[in-house]
Amino acid sequence: MSFLELSAIKKSFGPVQVVHDFNMAIDKGEFISFLGPSGCGKTTILRMIAGFETPTDGTIVINGRDQTALKPNQRNIGMVFQAYALFPNMTVFENVAFGLKVAGKPRAEIEARVKEMLALIHLEHLAERYPYQMSGGQQQRVALARALAPKPQVLLLDEPLSALDAKIRVSLREEIRLIQRQLGITTVFVTHDQEEALSISDRIVVMNAGRADQIGTPSEIYNRPATRFVASFVGTLNLIEAQVEDPDARRIRMGEQSLAIQDPLSGLKGGERVSVALRPEAATLSPTDRSDAAIPGEVVSSHFLGSVVRTKLKVGESTISFDMFNDPGRTPPAPGEQVTLHFASRDLLVIRD
Amino acid sequence: MSTHTSGWQKAGAWAAILFGATYFILPLVATFEFSLRMRRGEYSFDAYRSVFTDAQFQESFSYSILMAVLTIVIGMLLIVPTAYWVRLRLPQFRPVMEFVTLLPLVIPAIVIVFGYLRLYNSSSLIPFTGSARGTDILLMFSFMTLSLPYMYRSVDTAMRTIDVATLTEAAQSLGAPWRTILFRCIFPNVMSGVLSGAFITFAIVIGEFTMPSLLNRPAFGPYLQLIGANRAYEPPALAIIAFAITWLSVGLLQLLSRFNKARPPKP
Repeated sequence: MSFLELSAIKKSFGPVQVVHDFNMAIDKGEFISFLGPSGCGKTTILRMIAGFETPTDGTIVINGRDQTALKPNQRNIGMVFQAYALFPNMTVFENVAFGLKVAGKPRAEIEARVKEMLALIHLEHLAERYPYQMSGGQQQRVALARALAPKPQVLLLDEPLSALDAKIRVSLREEIRLIQRQLGITTVFVTHDQEEALSISDRIVVMNAGRADQIGTPSEIYNRPATRFVASFVGTLNLIEAQVEDPDARRIRMGEQSLAIQDPLSGLKGGERVSVALRPEAATLSPTDRSDAAIPGEVVSSHFLGSVVRTKLKVGESTISFDMFNDPGRTPPAPGEQVTLHFASRDLLVIRD
Repeated sequence: MSTHTSGWQKAGAWAAILFGATYFILPLVATFEFSLRMRRGEYSFDAYRSVFTDAQFQESFSYSILMAVLTIVIGMLLIVPTAYWVRLRLPQFRPVMEFVTLLPLVIPAIVIVFGYLRLYNSSSLIPFTGSARGTDILLMFSFMTLSLPYMYRSVDTAMRTIDVATLTEAAQSLGAPWRTILFRCIFPNVMSGVLSGAFITFAIVIGEFTMPSLLNRPAFGPYLQLIGANRAYEPPALAIIAFAITWLSVGLLQLLSRFNKARPPKP
């Protein structure tokens, strides 16, 4: 039996339904990310788990106990907010101790636990500081320690890294994952940043318009997107129009070429138009051992992105991007240059809406 | 040319400031000077001594101070949770609250007090004016009404500076009940607003004449009027005392709000 179960969850604000029939089972100790654009319903689901919103329909069960009707302060759920939400009138020590004091723990136990939590986030030396005397990254680590101090059954992270600068964001997300693994706490993380979700999650839920478009491991989500939305939201994607040639033999036709692909073409008929996707990193300018397909095109632009150079090609009516590792000894293709793009036909993904 | 113009502008600005200062300070200096002339031929603090030794002054002043403290405490217990709840759960009611809390500024105190007398007289359903204690309670509520625009606004403005909703949710997720959230997480963070409202209320209660006079209670305002009508040197001394109390309140307000902003870390 799963540790956290969301069954047939629906949520409406007035006439607007923001979550449609959402189901999910999360195992103990799992790190789940809800990924999606603004307004897709991911934060609403998180807030329903926390008890700040009541589902219009459905149940939330944690560790076998129905939480749906419980108030937020009865759920024992730790939450970290985007805006830190540290109490400005309390020191770091008092902030971390707050949940324990509310629970009526003895003084000695509170002190020991707060020290343990501050050691976990490496901020023991800032125990007497006030929130306004610390950086955003430090404040968010304190918020994490505060949420973890009362030993919650589930940890909820509501875009905790969005307000931080890029470097701190990367280091803090690694720290969060490390602490989560160390404590083995079931965690639900909400983000709109695909890189964040891909880098730290056990599983990702890609949300679109109040529904889960796909639930899977980061690798499944990236390499085998279930819908056009997932494919376009996670990573950069080239969409190429093609035609089904032989659905049983999994053959499609792209321009003059007939290609065998790995994705099944079930439900499609011969001659039917289909969109196929190709990740920028799956194409190269020179053939490799894997490549079995090639398309000619004209270079539109080349952008230096540090470790890679992203080049755009005009192929028929479509524009395709592909990435090359940065090589200081090689000049990127110039706009107007005619090149041939090589790729493996098995890297083509059939996109269904 | 521009230096010349700027010089004239500066002189004009200083002249305006000087005129304004004279307009405010000169009457004050004159009042203070007159209050020192009780003894013939020399300056003395006799008028102040006379005021401070007057039993009626002590009685009315302590009565007004007690009223001010009660008005502040009960007013804040009513206003802080109301402003908090409106901000948290009923933001659509903010314009209504703004309107209601502004009413005491547009309805004259005398109209309000006549309304009270009509509603709460000794033969009404709630006969507040039937006893001295009851009238005291009614007077305190009338002071609360008069200070409502200032109290509500100062608390509401202080609440605007903190993220009330997120702080509440953070406290809730840590298991805190409403009472704890309000008194440990919200109240201390709106203290500057509470203090502003408290000092303005204090100044209003100390100087208010209409309400205690028509409710026939021994407050400082009616005493001021009584002395003004019958004595020569004590009224200016009382005016200076009232002025000093008001400025002391404003000074304390400044000091406390500055202290609140620059709160040092605990050792």
